[in-house]
Amino acid sequence: MAYKPFDADALIDASAPLLQLRIAPEHRAGIKLNLKTASKMAALVEQVKLEDDAEPAPVYRP
Amino acid sequence: MKASASAAQIAEAVRGGKVKARAVVEAALARIDRHNPMLGAFTEITAARALDQADLIDGKVANATDPGPLAGVPFAVKNLFDIKDVVTRAGSQINRENPPAGRDATLVSRMEAAGAVLLGALNMGEYAYDFTGENVHDGPSRNPHALDRMTGGSSGGSAAAVAGGLVPLSLGSDTNGWIRVPASFCGLFGLKPTYGRLSRARSFPFVASLDHLGPFARSVRDLALAYDAMQGFDEADPAQSKRAPEPTAARLKNPVPGLRIAVAGDYFAGSAEAQAHVGKVAKALEATKTVILPDAQAARAAAFIITMAEGAALHLERLRARPDDFDPETRDRLLAGTILPAAWVARSQKLRRVFRDKVLRLFDGVDAILAPSTPMKAPLIGQKTAMFGGVEMPVRANLGIFTQPISFIGLPVAAVPVWLDGEDLPLGVQVIAAPWREDICLRIAHQLEAAGVCRAPVAKGFAEE
Repeated sequence: MAYKPFDADALIDASAPLLQLRIAPEHRAGIKLNLKTASKMAALVEQVKLEDDAEPAPVYRP
Repeated sequence: MKASASAAQIAEAVRGGKVKARAVVEAALARIDRHNPMLGAFTEITAARALDQADLIDGKVANATDPGPLAGVPFAVKNLFDIKDVVTRAGSQINRENPPAGRDATLVSRMEAAGAVLLGALNMGEYAYDFTGENVHDGPSRNPHALDRMTGGSSGGSAAAVAGGLVPLSLGSDTNGWIRVPASFCGLFGLKPTYGRLSRARSFPFVASLDHLGPFARSVRDLALAYDAMQGFDEADPAQSKRAPEPTAARLKNPVPGLRIAVAGDYFAGSAEAQAHVGKVAKALEATKTVILPDAQAARAAAFIITMAEGAALHLERLRARPDDFDPETRDRLLAGTILPAAWVARSQKLRRVFRDKVLRLFDGVDAILAPSTPMKAPLIGQKTAMFGGVEMPVRANLGIFTQPISFIGLPVAAVPVWLDGEDLPLGVQVIAAPWREDICLRIAHQLEAAGVCRAPVAKGFAEE
């Protein structure tokens, strides 16, 4: 997955009610900037091929 | 004792009855009183407790009872460690409303059991989500080598206190580089042990997958003494390994014949300034081989995502109830973290396992890997951008590019301070080993220190008192 610009306002508006978060107008620009950075990071992560049987790192030990 | 006295020197003098622990502690308290307003290192000074503990140590010496290997050594801890009867603020305004801690963090107890004397709690970036050492509530910790420059974070006060000669030892936490970055900027030795080596019990968490605790010092021997004092299983930390303690201090001088040391290339060679410092260390160790950590950039990205998501989940209730009480720099990242897709986080955890497997294979051919701790020397406090590889980039987001891939998979690292000829500021190098081989990291660090390649002086202006 390569990074593609996306509508961060739409993502915030859709997710905030689900999480019962109140997003103040003055916080929005910082959140959008950080979401953009995170999506670029996710694109880098997705460039590494992972097999279906790749185990995640944390293993619960009963 | 002078500000520059090492923990080992203090302990030897106290154990031998040449100096009273009370005198050592009183001198350290006087230095804190004088210099802390400049350094912004301490946020809480536990003077009464320290004097009581010092008297206890002096009583043991008088009675010929072993006062411990760190007898009378002053130390202090990042303010996310619980200290009995002190509120654990974790760099925040919000947590100041919590009741005082009912008991000490495990590592505080272990340091005191070894005879060390706790002097207080140290400044840090809010909730440890920080690479700068700046804090909107308490003010910044200041770099003792240049007071207008960053200490690095988030264990900024821990580095300022040791480089400023207030104490010879401090404890910090390292989730993404938060011991190694301040050690780099403030010219100190720091140890980020293997993930799961030291107990995190009763320290305020941030990212359970990545949180580590460890010491700062001005000598490798002091680092090893503190590390040894803190080892041992503690069932109160579910992530801790049951591995038996493996003491290092007595073996520091053991020769390490045939040790294979390589320099991390490719991704880790992206800063010419940092490479000059790595080169000095590599030359001294005759390390000519280069190894490539595959997918290091993706590993750093995955650490970024896990940090954002786990940190956000930890603080969700506070983000709902009182977002305006956070540091704005922290808040906006945490709020963004609440809405990251779960698939990104799950994939990042899978990448962590795969990256670990790839990097561990490198240790079939080498015993240690060298990489820079930071891409640059300490920026100015408040500086927002800097040049990285000829491009102007945000400072805050890029200080951990070389540390994040390493803590992501929990490898042990000794951060060593390197000064180039004629330079006023240091830059650190990571000495990285395979899991559980802190002994290799520390022995190489000791070799570099003995050869004069690495040094961690008390900053000028704070030294001769």
